Amino acid sequence: MENMLAPAAHRAGDTVRPQAGPPVLQLRNIEKVYQTKTIETVALHQVNLTIGKGEFVSIMGPSGCGKSTLLSIMGLLDEPTSGEIELDGRPVQSYSDRELAALRNHKIGFVFQSYHLINDLSVLDNVELPLLYRPGVSGRERRERAYAALEKVGLGARTNHFPGQLSGGQRQRVAIARALAGRPELILADEPTGNLDSVMGEEIMDLLLHLNRQEGTTIVMVTHDEQQALKTQRLIRFFDGSQVS
Amino acid sequence: MIRHLFTLIWNRKRANFLLVTEIFFAFVVLFVLGSLLVDNYRKYTAPLGYTYEHVWQIDLDPNGQPISRQDATFERLIQLLKAVSGVRSVAATRSNTPFSFSDSSTDFKAGSKSTNSDIYIVGDDMQDVLSLQLAEGRWFNRHDEVAAHPPLVISQEARQALFAKGPALGKTVRGLDNQDFQVVGVLATSYRGRGEFQELEPAIFLRSAKLVGSADTTSFDQPRLLIRVQPTATAELEQRLTKEIAAVTGGWKSTVITLPEQRTIRMKFALAPMGGMVLVCGFLIFNVALGLFGVLWYNISQRRAEIGLRRAIGATGSRISGQFLGEILVVTTFGLAFGLLVAAQFPLLGVMNIRLPVYLASMALATALVYVLTAICALYPSLLAARIRPAVALREE
Repeated sequence: MENMLAPAAHRAGDTVRPQAGPPVLQLRNIEKVYQTKTIETVALHQVNLTIGKGEFVSIMGPSGCGKSTLLSIMGLLDEPTSGEIELDGRPVQSYSDRELAALRNHKIGFVFQSYHLINDLSVLDNVELPLLYRPGVSGRERRERAYAALEKVGLGARTNHFPGQLSGGQRQRVAIARALAGRPELILADEPTGNLDSVMGEEIMDLLLHLNRQEGTTIVMVTHDEQQALKTQRLIRFFDGSQVS
Repeated sequence: MIRHLFTLIWNRKRANFLLVTEIFFAFVVLFVLGSLLVDNYRKYTAPLGYTYEHVWQIDLDPNGQPISRQDATFERLIQLLKAVSGVRSVAATRSNTPFSFSDSSTDFKAGSKSTNSDIYIVGDDMQDVLSLQLAEGRWFNRHDEVAAHPPLVISQEARQALFAKGPALGKTVRGLDNQDFQVVGVLATSYRGRGEFQELEPAIFLRSAKLVGSADTTSFDQPRLLIRVQPTATAELEQRLTKEIAAVTGGWKSTVITLPEQRTIRMKFALAPMGGMVLVCGFLIFNVALGLFGVLWYNISQRRAEIGLRRAIGATGSRISGQFLGEILVVTTFGLAFGLLVAAQFPLLGVMNIRLPVYLASMALATALVYVLTAICALYPSLLAARIRPAVALREE
């Protein structure tokens, strides 16, 4: 397997930018309101967004502006108060818990700021995890796909390690391999470099860019880092729950 | 998924050690208690070998009458009681009547085989009084008075112990100060004079015409009578009998108690310790259950982020609850594996002198109970885990 973290000189083809394809995800008039007995908080207000196939979109905004809420709604982890979501052209509002879980499993990969690896499972077992919830995938196939995903992120030699034995950057690469193992159409990354120093952050950013450019993986990334955001194809800014650019 | 669960639990073995230990002890307690209960249930459901309904026991005290006159008085009393309306049959016996707290045993030998057997010295009418069923031979009769060897009637256990599958009738058995006896009958079943919770042990009946007045008569071996009365007999008959006894014996004291009453007393003595043990074990198991419930609840609250992650990557709510239920069942399996290893030593070392099938049944019962207990304890926390909203859980640190 090719190591995606090879030096930049070996990645001359990275300049190729895939054109945005048909919509993978569409949000229309999304509203999200959190309501308590006394307070009503509008987290998202009239958000309209289309993510094309092969796009790398970054979302920026100050803390509390609704970025993570938006990502949760895009990832079908949370329901909007109103509005419509289409994933691969299919409206998902009426989907049951089981159908939404299957869609998340097949179509979406998640990368989180704090990795969310299971410390008591080996790297390989962590990466296999999404495939455990996919019927019809044999144990052997799970292993093979997990190995392949780990090779892609340059951790083919760390399969039997445990998360506690890895650096922050390596852990995030394991998390990315876990997102890749299910071969999703869309990767949602919530501040993937937020817990890393600048060098490791760059490594992870390079890896995501490479996956987007070489593999055509669609990525939506929430970030606070302007420099990283500028490397993506499209930058969306949020303020007080609304899209401002 | 099962492999995943085992991997997860194995990798968390240190964290799960206390849970495994708790489950191990719960199993051992249930196994020991279960063995006792199952063994007692087995005894309880085995045939007693006689019927006790409508049978009354009359304890007699010669009240200072000279020994030389007691036998004649006793014989006169038996004849009188047989003639009383409402009495169907009367038989003399010694103190070890059914459900009494008195027992008597001795060694018997037949050829190379020997056994220690309960011995019951009874009159000729005891078969009628206790409705004893014979599989072979006959019961005692007055012709046995002139027999070369005193006759014996033996239970199935005594037959097995002394003759195995060979013939028993007419065989000579040596016992009681090297005296020879002859087997004239074999009971159809066991005979358990100490009641339902007595082990199935050999029992041998010895005929005795002279029940009182013998040199070895002591205050611990007072003459007794067992009488079978009509099913319609009431307390009025009891009063009448007491008066008749006093009149015919010239002042002997008598006490009447029915065998069902005697059985109730015996049962209370047998069941009270068992009830106590069940209560103590129940309390222990309840505490184990509370502990398990608390630990599982705490575990789930500590693993909210993991639950959020699993939901994000495709687990449904029911898969999450299934996962936590599965985990506790795997932990239970580890605890049970150790428990079964220990339990297997009981029959191998003969710890409680209980039969192997009882141990096996108790192992199965305790295993099932522990699985049910842990599943019940895990159910509510697992359902709570399934309700955790992934978007919220994933944001928590």
